[in-house]
Amino acid sequence: MQKQDMRGIGVGKGVDADPRQRPGFPMETTPEPRPGAQLPIEQQRSDYPVLMHGGRQGMPPVYGTAAPPKGLSGVLRKVAYKYPDHWARHWMMLLMADRVDSWEHNLRRVLPVAAVLVLGGLTAKWIRS
Amino acid sequence: MRALTYQGPYRVRVENKPDPIIEHPQDVVLKVTHTAICGSDLHLLHGLIADTRVGCTFGHEFMGVVEETGREVKSLRKGDRVVVPFNISCGTCFYCQRSLTALCENSNPSSDLASGVYGYSHTTGGYEGGQAEYVRVPFADVGPLKVPEDMEDEEVLFLSDILPTGYQGAEMGEIKAGETVVVFGCGPVGLFAMKSAWLMGAGRVIAVDHLPYRLAFAEQFAKVETVNFKEVGDVVLYLRELCGGRGADVCIDAVGMEAEGSTMHKMLGLAKLEAGAPTAINWCIDTVRKGGNVSIIGVYGPPWNLINIGTAMNKGLTLRMNQCNVRRYMPHLLEHIRAGRIDAKGIITHRFPLEDAAHAYHLFAQKRDNCIKCVLTPHGHA
Repeated sequence: MQKQDMRGIGVGKGVDADPRQRPGFPMETTPEPRPGAQLPIEQQRSDYPVLMHGGRQGMPPVYGTAAPPKGLSGVLRKVAYKYPDHWARHWMMLLMADRVDSWEHNLRRVLPVAAVLVLGGLTAKWIRS
Repeated sequence: MRALTYQGPYRVRVENKPDPIIEHPQDVVLKVTHTAICGSDLHLLHGLIADTRVGCTFGHEFMGVVEETGREVKSLRKGDRVVVPFNISCGTCFYCQRSLTALCENSNPSSDLASGVYGYSHTTGGYEGGQAEYVRVPFADVGPLKVPEDMEDEEVLFLSDILPTGYQGAEMGEIKAGETVVVFGCGPVGLFAMKSAWLMGAGRVIAVDHLPYRLAFAEQFAKVETVNFKEVGDVVLYLRELCGGRGADVCIDAVGMEAEGSTMHKMLGLAKLEAGAPTAINWCIDTVRKGGNVSIIGVYGPPWNLINIGTAMNKGLTLRMNQCNVRRYMPHLLEHIRAGRIDAKGIITHRFPLEDAAHAYHLFAQKRDNCIKCVLTPHGHA
């Protein structure tokens, strides 16, 4: 009698036991366009400032437009993207820009409240004097 | 529309954002019906992925109903229900033509690491994610899979990422009948890797984690042996002994950059001296037998990690790794779900409306309330 595994099924039994049953076999298939693919691909156009890393030749036809670079963090990002993505400084500058972005965001949120408090304080001081 | 937005490390919030529009003739706009929080979203939440900008929306596991189509879209119509792979792939480039859609070179201007990915920082193209009421889906004739009418959203939602990723993780291990497979990590991807290992004829599957509730879940869901690495001293020696002294035939890293188990790597990761902790990869390399296979599906960020590459070389290991080429797995795994071989929705432990997404993130990140997988419903209550 064949030994059983933890599932109570014969060891080594599985519907995808034959590697040829697996969708990723072979890893690289014979080159052909995927079903539904269309050529030529029109170039996406927008006013969004896309940052392309320094090692890339030309814009891809499609890209995301989630959050444009802005403020000091945006400047850091623009510098970082001048370098190709196999340079450590590219990534370290981006990580730094992320932190600056977060600080700038916090500052923008507290600035109106701080401005009101400061103005209120100054006004009160002026009235008292 | 309402959308989850990143506010800086450890902070997300649901707020109003402009609705997405058709930006390219091959786009559709999707009304999101179900979306999930992925373990790799936590790397974004924790500020570990470079170029994650404040205000962007996360979410690369989602499905929904087509709301609007671009003028060149041929296969989809308004009202079609689809599940969307997390890779954004053109279908025509060098890599897509070879079925390696995770490597598409026509969707990501920001880096050569991978294709564009929804809601996963500007490092993967700067696309908005699906944890929102609506989302833009480029190359709509290539990626999305129409959902059969007789199947519920939750049954097929995980075809967008974690089920194919787990399956590809097992497949890259090149498992042969009767072999012993060790899976590090009992999160959703790890669970599906275990299930897939059985489908590929593994003789023995051992799951490793440190959270008792996750180990118990793996035991029940995937029918595997379990090891709590915090209870066994030296986990590598323990596993080797468990595997007859030689080691496992195949080891799968389903953990990624936020691994527990090594204080040194955690500290180096926090200090940004390496991209998170590669503890699980090193355990894979040390646990697998000489000449064995290591498969990496845990996510790591650039620029570098301290990995025992000398050990891997001397042991004659095969290391395989990749983001999942989701689209090629979807029809095959849909059939496994339909046949009852994989209960994909069985891993859902929490359901929330989109408005509670911030709470869901923190619950999932802190592993509270025995959380395995959170699903969000942007339109209608969970």
